[in-house]
Amino acid sequence: MSECCGGLKLGQKVPMFELDTYEPTKGDFGKFRLEDQIKNKRWTILFFYPADFTFV
Amino acid sequence: MGCDIVTVSTDTQFVHLAWRNSEKELAKVQYPMASDPTGKVSRMFDVYNEDNGLDLRGTFIINSDGALMNAEVNWYNIGRNIEELLRKFKANIYVSRKTNEVCPSKWKDEGDKTLVNPGAKMVGKVHEALAG
Repeated sequence: MSECCGGLKLGQKVPMFELDTYEPTKGDFGKFRLEDQIKNKRWTILFFYPADFTFV
Repeated sequence: MGCDIVTVSTDTQFVHLAWRNSEKELAKVQYPMASDPTGKVSRMFDVYNEDNGLDLRGTFIINSDGALMNAEVNWYNIGRNIEELLRKFKANIYVSRKTNEVCPSKWKDEGDKTLVNPGAKMVGKVHEALAG
């Protein structure tokens, strides 16, 4: 499966992106930036799911 | 482990706040809950469903250099197995450190048998390599 995701390929760099977040540890809103993850040399697991208030 | 988990749905961050603080099942959730209402990032990962505006159950592991190392996508009616996700994550971390080793199918955690320096000598002799 070399091409699985809208143009993204395994092994290739993911384009930089940013998402608004709710951060439970701060009890406040924030931003997730892939750029910051790479700057801080951290791995990321992105976990997509359909909708809040539904049944796991 | 130098890793951050981020959940993503097309709900806004306000709905995430409301859900996190009302659903007792989420009481232990400490990771950021990201919002992708336009589906822009979801489309990049090919998990956005144009028919209903909801994301599929996709999990992606991105390494510390920003490269996509793993992708798993399930349809709505099948949940993901957290142990399998952790296993894949641990395997990714392990082989990024031990670049001359690979994790065979039964590998679960550091300490389990790996194949060291797979090369010409191992061709046709994987059984012996795993047993040895």
